[in-house]
Amino acid sequence: MSVKMDTTDACDLRFGQVGIACVRVRRVDAAALCDELERRVRAAPQLFSRAAVVLDLSHLLDLPDDGAVDALLEAVRSAGMLPVGLAYGTSETEALAKRMGLPLIAKFRAAYEPASGAAPAPVETAAPRHDAAPPEPIHATPTSGNAPTAQHHAGAVRSGQQIYARDRDLIVTGAIANGAEVIADGNIHVYGSLRGRAMAGAQGDENTRIFVSDFRAELVAIAGHYRVFEQIPDNLEGQSVQCWLEGEKLLIAKL
Amino acid sequence: MTAEIIVVTSGKGGVGKTTTSASLATGLAMAGKKVAVIDFDVGLRNLDLIMGCERRVVYDFINVVHGEATLKQSLIKDKRHDNLYVLAASQTRDKDALTQEGVEKVLDGLSEDGFDYVVCDSPAGIEKGAHLAMYFADHAVVVVNPEVSSVRDSDRILGLLASKTRRAERGEGAITQHLLLTRYNPARVAIGEMLSVKDVEEILGINVVGVIPESENVLTASNNGIPVIVDANSLAGQAYSDTVARILGEERPLRFIDVPKKGFLQRVFGG
Repeated sequence: MSVKMDTTDACDLRFGQVGIACVRVRRVDAAALCDELERRVRAAPQLFSRAAVVLDLSHLLDLPDDGAVDALLEAVRSAGMLPVGLAYGTSETEALAKRMGLPLIAKFRAAYEPASGAAPAPVETAAPRHDAAPPEPIHATPTSGNAPTAQHHAGAVRSGQQIYARDRDLIVTGAIANGAEVIADGNIHVYGSLRGRAMAGAQGDENTRIFVSDFRAELVAIAGHYRVFEQIPDNLEGQSVQCWLEGEKLLIAKL
Repeated sequence: MTAEIIVVTSGKGGVGKTTTSASLATGLAMAGKKVAVIDFDVGLRNLDLIMGCERRVVYDFINVVHGEATLKQSLIKDKRHDNLYVLAASQTRDKDALTQEGVEKVLDGLSEDGFDYVVCDSPAGIEKGAHLAMYFADHAVVVVNPEVSSVRDSDRILGLLASKTRRAERGEGAITQHLLLTRYNPARVAIGEMLSVKDVEEILGINVVGVIPESENVLTASNNGIPVIVDANSLAGQAYSDTVARILGEERPLRFIDVPKKGFLQRVFGG
């Protein structure tokens, strides 16, 4: 080993937002879960094979015991996905995650306990914010109607750039390039081409919408429900559209 | 009087950054400006070849950055133009040998020596070499080919130019961004094999400062160590002359962007 003096830092520690799939468990049945996920992986291997996923147990009436959770995690693994953590639920989930040695990931719209005191900070980004309005408490139900003011970004969002509007709507007057990302806890309005990704309702508000005046998106998501566009449908390409959620379904229609 | 610093950059490799740097620097010198062109591609030096001075490199950019040689010793005078100098990259070092303070010292030194323009030939990528090449710039020439991957990389670079430069950090106003479309082939655009000028301008949201047609003369000129702008008979050379004039503030219409019409004899005899 050569001893080389290097004065630069050994690493940079940064917060960023990454898309991550969430496995919402509806019943504690490891075999059924494995079958189901295997089917998904086979259907879209590029999307799901070795995809990092978080396990969301908040839809179960009672938190399963450690053995059952282990079995569920193993089921995810054997289906070809990589479980990297548990989604935030209650303090019991937190204790469970600790016992499992897994990180707890702040999940979109988990049933935070009002009594649990400090809510976990949402995933922070390095995106510039235009003003410093105090963020609303996380466990207040985020509805777009009473969000402070919208965050406005004038000009293009270039490939590799990321804009995040916390607790509010985002308005972009300019094009969003391929490989660029705009994220808002509220609605997103784009007056320009959307060629990159747009994610509304990042804290889980399923009533948020995305409005685009020239639709060519790679991906749109609302409250974690997303659609990717390998091929943009002819009737939507270049049109003014809006995207909204109906139940679990992300719908897109011309305006 | 401080020198205007122009970075020639692209993100993607092989799109014509060095060819452009050589022709831009030569064109500015032909317009009577005192110009230095610096090769920031440490470890893969090419500019000296295209400028035809590879056998005259004694000291290089890294030697000056590290204080092992003076600017005067390292600047290579162009054989065609008295007011044009080349600062070659080191082939034996890598990009970590560059430091921000060192680069600043060299650029300040060139300003003091009365240079009007410093052209920085950036390496491909967005790592240290490319970052330092753009960091001190006042103008940027973003070289783009009419194909999707090059356009996307240029978009990334345009974003970095707006945020990761000294001007941006100090809030001194944005860098002037010039988009230069190279390797343009109107015939292939016409049949839909290449993006058009309009496509590229639309995707990137800025207008082009020049369009350089794809031309055999570019390769020949490079191999002979002559910047293609010197060849006034070649279309690429003429297009570079137009581009330099536009960067200097002159208005000139875009040329060579339509499929050339066949002349009467060509139509009769085929051609």
